[in-house]
Amino acid sequence: MSKSYEELMDEVYDLPDGLAKINLLEEAAREADLRNDIVDAYEARSMIVENATFNGYPMKALVAFSWMLGQYDKNRDLFDEYNLLWSYKWILDKISCFPDIPLTQINELLEDMRNRYKEHGYSDRTYYFYTSVNLLQQGKVEEAGEFLKKFRSMDEDMMSDCTACEQNRLVEYAAAAGDDEATLEAAKPILKGKMTCGEVPHVTISKVLMPLYRLGQLEEAEKQQKKGYKLIKNNLDFLQHQSEHIYYLSKTDPFKGLELLERHYPNMLGHENPFDKMMFLAHSSALLELLSGESVAVAVRLPESSPHLNGIEGQGSEGKGNAGPIAAAFREDALVLADRFDRRNGNTFYRNYIQSL
Amino acid sequence: MSQQDNYRFQVNLGGMIDILSNHLYSSPKVYLRELLQNAVDAVTARREIEPSAEGSIKIDVTGAGGPATLTIQDNGIGLTEENIHEFLAVIGQSSKRSGDLLAQNTTFIGRFGIGLLSCFMVSDEIVVLTQSAKGGPSLEWRGKPDGTYSIRKLDTELTPGTRVFLRCKPGSEAYFEQEFLENSIYYYGAMLPYPITLQTEQGFKKINETLPIWIKHPDMARSHKAEVLAWGERLLGERFRDFIPLQTASGRTGGIAFILPQGVNLNAKRAHRVYLKHMLVSEKAENILPDWAFFVKCLIWSDELQLTASREHFYENEQLEEVRSELGESIRGELITMAELAPDRLQAIIGAHALSMKALAVEDDQFYRIIYRWLPFHSSAGQRELGELLREHKHLYYTLTLDEYRQITHVAAAQSLVVINGGYIYDSELMSRLPLVHGGVEVERLLPEDVSFTFTDLTGDERRYYYEATRSADAVLQDFRTQVQLKRFKPSELPALYTLSKESSDLRSLELTREAATDLFSSVLGNLSTGLQNAGYATLYLNLDNPVISRLFNSGQSAILPIAIKMLYVNALMMGHYPMNRQELAVLNNGIIQFIDWGLSSNHNNGGTTA
Repeated sequence: MSKSYEELMDEVYDLPDGLAKINLLEEAAREADLRNDIVDAYEARSMIVENATFNGYPMKALVAFSWMLGQYDKNRDLFDEYNLLWSYKWILDKISCFPDIPLTQINELLEDMRNRYKEHGYSDRTYYFYTSVNLLQQGKVEEAGEFLKKFRSMDEDMMSDCTACEQNRLVEYAAAAGDDEATLEAAKPILKGKMTCGEVPHVTISKVLMPLYRLGQLEEAEKQQKKGYKLIKNNLDFLQHQSEHIYYLSKTDPFKGLELLERHYPNMLGHENPFDKMMFLAHSSALLELLSGESVAVAVRLPESSPHLNGIEGQGSEGKGNAGPIAAAFREDALVLADRFDRRNGNTFYRNYIQSL
Repeated sequence: MSQQDNYRFQVNLGGMIDILSNHLYSSPKVYLRELLQNAVDAVTARREIEPSAEGSIKIDVTGAGGPATLTIQDNGIGLTEENIHEFLAVIGQSSKRSGDLLAQNTTFIGRFGIGLLSCFMVSDEIVVLTQSAKGGPSLEWRGKPDGTYSIRKLDTELTPGTRVFLRCKPGSEAYFEQEFLENSIYYYGAMLPYPITLQTEQGFKKINETLPIWIKHPDMARSHKAEVLAWGERLLGERFRDFIPLQTASGRTGGIAFILPQGVNLNAKRAHRVYLKHMLVSEKAENILPDWAFFVKCLIWSDELQLTASREHFYENEQLEEVRSELGESIRGELITMAELAPDRLQAIIGAHALSMKALAVEDDQFYRIIYRWLPFHSSAGQRELGELLREHKHLYYTLTLDEYRQITHVAAAQSLVVINGGYIYDSELMSRLPLVHGGVEVERLLPEDVSFTFTDLTGDERRYYYEATRSADAVLQDFRTQVQLKRFKPSELPALYTLSKESSDLRSLELTREAATDLFSSVLGNLSTGLQNAGYATLYLNLDNPVISRLFNSGQSAILPIAIKMLYVNALMMGHYPMNRQELAVLNNGIIQFIDWGLSSNHNNGGTTA
């Protein structure tokens, strides 16, 4: 009844990336575990790490990576270190998104990556880069900027991200610093199509929408929104970015924004990334608050099992619609998460951010 | 009288030819495409100034005994001396420009010079005789692969047009053979608008057919079904039964999307055959249709797209995106019309291409709304169309993963819940969105722990009667963060069911991985798992309707209970495909030994009494 490792892997190769593929890989890994075949189990998990990282399952990626690193240390001659070291960056890219992981541990992980890179002859550039990424994620914009400076003074090596990804971080930094002009300036080569990769401009475009809007470049903003949303709408990994589109649309086309909200909400419920969930809830609550002020009653369609419908009367019931109460429920959840992040980060960055929306 | 001037290329032609043949073109046989292109461009240009001119292109091969010489003759616009220099200078230009010369949007896809250069892949000597339709002397051009060429004015005046002579170079004989030529001319030029004739042993043979009306007006393809299918079979080498005409609003791109008779792999390369300005440019164009359209193989003709340097793919630009989305819209629109007017036809397509339809439905609610009734899903009621399931049930359940489905499907089916396996690609997403397209249905994601709501509670008396045994059973599994519940449920053959929430399931895999991870990662995972501790316990439901469970709880043998409960626990884990940690494996090992031991000693006892 159970399929063999080979059969499972054959199926895996036929599938596009996503949960169905990850589940098959997990089954393959279990099958290899049962046979005590470390090499097969490692192969399946390395595919899990990549697939999970880029399709919205950072927890699965972290778990599989932890296993791989442990096996690698025990059996160094069995495995190629390059891919393992490369995927370490993916883990560190998302590690600050889990509020339960304390700062000391995040720093230890960064150091661990640094030492392993050093051991294999790679420079500290990537370490500085991901330190900056994590600081930014923790709302420490100024410190993140300092590490960016260090990083930019060094030469690339084989562990460096592609230029498009690096440029995108500069955009994210400028956006987090609240500098609209600098954000657009940094995004220029990306928006012009001179730098692209698997995730750029996908993740960049949502960062320039509000800057464009605030600087009055409305036509360009609209064009970018349409273009950017197409790139991200079918991948769970972009929940945060989808929510940034929702927030932008709350300013320009709230009913279009509601369409996006309803589309992505079910994915948010089961999402593994608490940071993305927080952002989604925060941005969506801003949109719903605005809609609740409309003269027509707005009925938000959420799945019936949604926890945010608790205590709220039936959808689209007469009167004022349900946008207001759902907005409040979203906001409350977003703030609970924000406080968890802020407590860990030792600041009030995310509470402030949500209150500014 | 004749005047001869020598000029030199400004580039290393040998190097250029090497680049062309090894890096740019996929095969030397493209020389034929380039020659045809030049001829077609010339005829088109002539018809622009003389609309009544009948175009004609003739090819023949001579030279029995010695090296073959191929001649291609057109009655097109011809070249003036100025033209010749201009066209060949193009090569020099291309190296100075930053943009890609071949990608420039010009009236003619071919550029005489580059096209002619490709001929050096198969020939060491190229002669061109030409007479411009605009007057001037007839000219002879001779080019050599060392980079020199000469131009000579001829004494006689030729009829307007161009004749190109290629002498076969050693090793290229295959590209001059009759059969090769006949096949290749058809391959590249089946859609060319002017008659192309090839001289064969039986005389001149027309290679391309007159273009049918539906090439220009794809919507007329519907009334020429047999002819369209015949063209499809001839050009794509497959027998199709159905097709969808394609057209963009501008009318500049059209085509036929033939529906593949059988399902295809999601990752299969989607190779469409594309003609640009009537000339075949690619038979493996992938980016011309949206990703979801993997159930069709297309013939597409266009005059608006830009080719990459190899002329075998299209530039990924806004124009291509526009064309792609319009072609996608043609397909989508036809499917929607089918849903209304010819549901049987749509059903046949969905039958073979459910995945493709689901891929589109996931991206497009409106499309989903129109076709959901016919989409097949794997459910506890078998492989069924969604419409059928909806007619019979107001409440549908689905799982997110195959694992969850496996764990609960038997139990759910026994409680007559209809559960859809959402572990297949797209299915859980489609199920979660079903209420948005079909009113009045309740769709719920079913977690393994949810099936218990249909279980029968024990009566008050039973509860008191089994209180002690249940409590000790519960205590046994504390170490495994699992609580025991005694219930009655179907099917009675099932002694125990282990359920856990997504969070507890994540917790399980975290804890399991900690055993293998480095110290640092183990403590990182430890922190994550602390965050999940609130997820609560997993539950082991024991089924009092099951004879073994019933005997166990009624036996009054408290000695056997702990180990039996643990064994039921690991057994339920295995049934649910849960990987086991060290502690659980130890339980399994010890348990087996223990039961063998008990079995032996009871046999021994039996043996003793009968002896």
